[in-house]
Amino acid sequence: MKQLTKLAVATTVALWAAAGSASAQVTELRIGYQPSPIQDNSIAMFEAWGAKNGVKIVKVPNSYGVYVEKMTASLTSNSDQYDVIWHNDDWGQTWAHLLEPMDDVEANKFASKWSMSPIVFGNDKGQNTVVPMGQTFSVFFYRSDLVKPEEVPKTLDELVTVSKKLQADGKVKFGYVAGASMNNSWFTWFWSMWGNNCDVLLPPYERDNKKLAAAGWKSGMTEPCMQKNVEYWWDAINTHKIVPRGMPAYDRNEANAVFMAGDAAFTVADSLWWGTFNDPAKSKIVGKVAATRFPLGPDRAKPFAWDDIWGWAIPKSISPERKKKAKEMLNAMMLDKEGQKKLFKATGAPPPNTEFWAEIAAEDAFMKLLKESVLDSPDKVRGAYYFPQWPAVHKAFNDTVTKAVTGKREDIAKVLAEGAPLVSKAAQ
Amino acid sequence: MFGEQQRFMLFLIAPAALLMLLFQVLPIVIGANASFRDWALYNPKKIWVGFSHYYAVLSDPAFLYTVLPNTFLFMILSVAGALVAGLALALLLNRPFRGQKLVQTILLVPLMVAPVVAAIMIRWMFNDQFGIVNTVLEAIGLEGQPWLVQRWSAFGIILLTDIWLWTPWFTLLLLAGLQSLPKEPFEAAAIDGTTTWRVFRFLTLPMLRPVIVVCVVIRAIDAFRTFDIVWTLTGGGPGRSTELFSLYAYVHAFLNLDLGRGSAAAIIGGLIILVIGVVLYRLVDRIAKA
Repeated sequence: MKQLTKLAVATTVALWAAAGSASAQVTELRIGYQPSPIQDNSIAMFEAWGAKNGVKIVKVPNSYGVYVEKMTASLTSNSDQYDVIWHNDDWGQTWAHLLEPMDDVEANKFASKWSMSPIVFGNDKGQNTVVPMGQTFSVFFYRSDLVKPEEVPKTLDELVTVSKKLQADGKVKFGYVAGASMNNSWFTWFWSMWGNNCDVLLPPYERDNKKLAAAGWKSGMTEPCMQKNVEYWWDAINTHKIVPRGMPAYDRNEANAVFMAGDAAFTVADSLWWGTFNDPAKSKIVGKVAATRFPLGPDRAKPFAWDDIWGWAIPKSISPERKKKAKEMLNAMMLDKEGQKKLFKATGAPPPNTEFWAEIAAEDAFMKLLKESVLDSPDKVRGAYYFPQWPAVHKAFNDTVTKAVTGKREDIAKVLAEGAPLVSKAAQ
Repeated sequence: MFGEQQRFMLFLIAPAALLMLLFQVLPIVIGANASFRDWALYNPKKIWVGFSHYYAVLSDPAFLYTVLPNTFLFMILSVAGALVAGLALALLLNRPFRGQKLVQTILLVPLMVAPVVAAIMIRWMFNDQFGIVNTVLEAIGLEGQPWLVQRWSAFGIILLTDIWLWTPWFTLLLLAGLQSLPKEPFEAAAIDGTTTWRVFRFLTLPMLRPVIVVCVVIRAIDAFRTFDIVWTLTGGGPGRSTELFSLYAYVHAFLNLDLGRGSAAAIIGGLIILVIGVVLYRLVDRIAKA
């Protein structure tokens, strides 16, 4: 009987130990993401690491259209649906309190200091909550077969004159095309606004919430520079006809379709579309695209660059074992030179490890251009604001500008004045 | 307390009642609770704020002067359009002709298409650069239009999409109604040499009225909460000019991540449709009795 008891106790202990070690051994990591060239290539590095380390990478795709709300609900409900999720500077402060601090991911020391600013991704204790996936900023693309580098527009006025000349010569149907509808404001309204010393909230280019609050969350909608900006696009559509009349409703796919069909000479898009613009299966302008700095408005003389990142984050609510394994994977991704070179080659997005930039730039002219004109630029702009109400502010801004641009020219000032308190109120 | 028969009846309805309780009643209660609280999706403090969300919605000029008028206009025009088109098709299909079954099947195709897919398709059809609509217009010498950047053309496209999607539903139900009508009054009218229009006006329409009214009630309630095609086609734009009630609630709850305000908007919409539903049901009752 004693022996039987001993056997039973030994079996129980063995089973308990086995179960304990099984739960500590993480064999699977679930990635919540949105299918896109940069994310697909970043996940390819996870998969390469997983294959070497016996960890299965489970990809859980989510639609961009519902990504923020779905992921926010997942984070606030403390579910363990995902181990690693796609993160973006726009939601840096919306999710900061729901994410695992990443200060112990050693390879983060190789990330861009500008992009990892605590203003964007820091939580209330000043801890960083992201590991970068790649730099995701837009650049001014132009058709290199139609425009010589020295002829590329340096100002918004030159964009009109060069466009009109190309149209008159029958080279293209339109001078410029880009997304402009909600969530595509960057590609039309924002860059031209920043290029004219203008911004959504005042003071221009300020992203410190304390300073914005001190200024009363005042909107820039009624500033003369904003009126000039909106009037510029109204004229570009209706007077000069250098852009398609339907552009205020375009998303990035519709705008890219026009550019890749060879119907427009210029566009602004994320640099990561470089790969798609040069994909013979999708584009008629392969090998005929180059990029440069943004043209400037009448109120600004100094060039500027817009630089942000996409990244990966870990939900606070998952188990410590999974957090540890996920960090190991992200650390390995940051050090994967070949994987990051592939990511750049496939997308045109500068990879997350800054140590690799010089080497890639030495091999690739496009990266050289991005490095000189954006990554090393001293005058940078952040693409979003970093408080939770930013989506509401963005929507109020886009609704107002769209209404102004699609209405009568003489009503622009009135529409902007009506929209100003809505933008300001949304921020508070 | 209950007899054997009542217990058996309760046993039979219990699964359906439980499902309804869990998936309909409970979410409404949770939503109603959220509408009285400071409930941001990213930071649900859940502090009681009374009727402040309701006040904010009901005093929002965009809700009062754009969203509600758009919603009622959409409801009336989309139901009327689909009813007229559905009735016309049902009358055509009610006459025997060669290939009738094939035509009937083809006409039902829109019912099998997911509204989001239909909306994406229509958005590209009306694209000002690549769309088939502008291509045809330009081929016949007319100027192509930027359909989605003007309020009324964008609203018209939303209506067109909805009518296209729902016409087969009306056709199907009205055709079933037509085929169940007694033949004798029509035979008597034929013997009297009555014109087709008078047969339709004084026989078909009055006899079909109960079916028409039921269809209109069901569809009107459904049209009030339309979301998918509008979100996909215009996102409520340009600006907010084609925003409907359901988009208003969605934007607050899930784009601005303010679940409290979004829930309040949804509850207000629910109350509005409740009133409309009661009025319409009374109408049905009166017509049925008549």
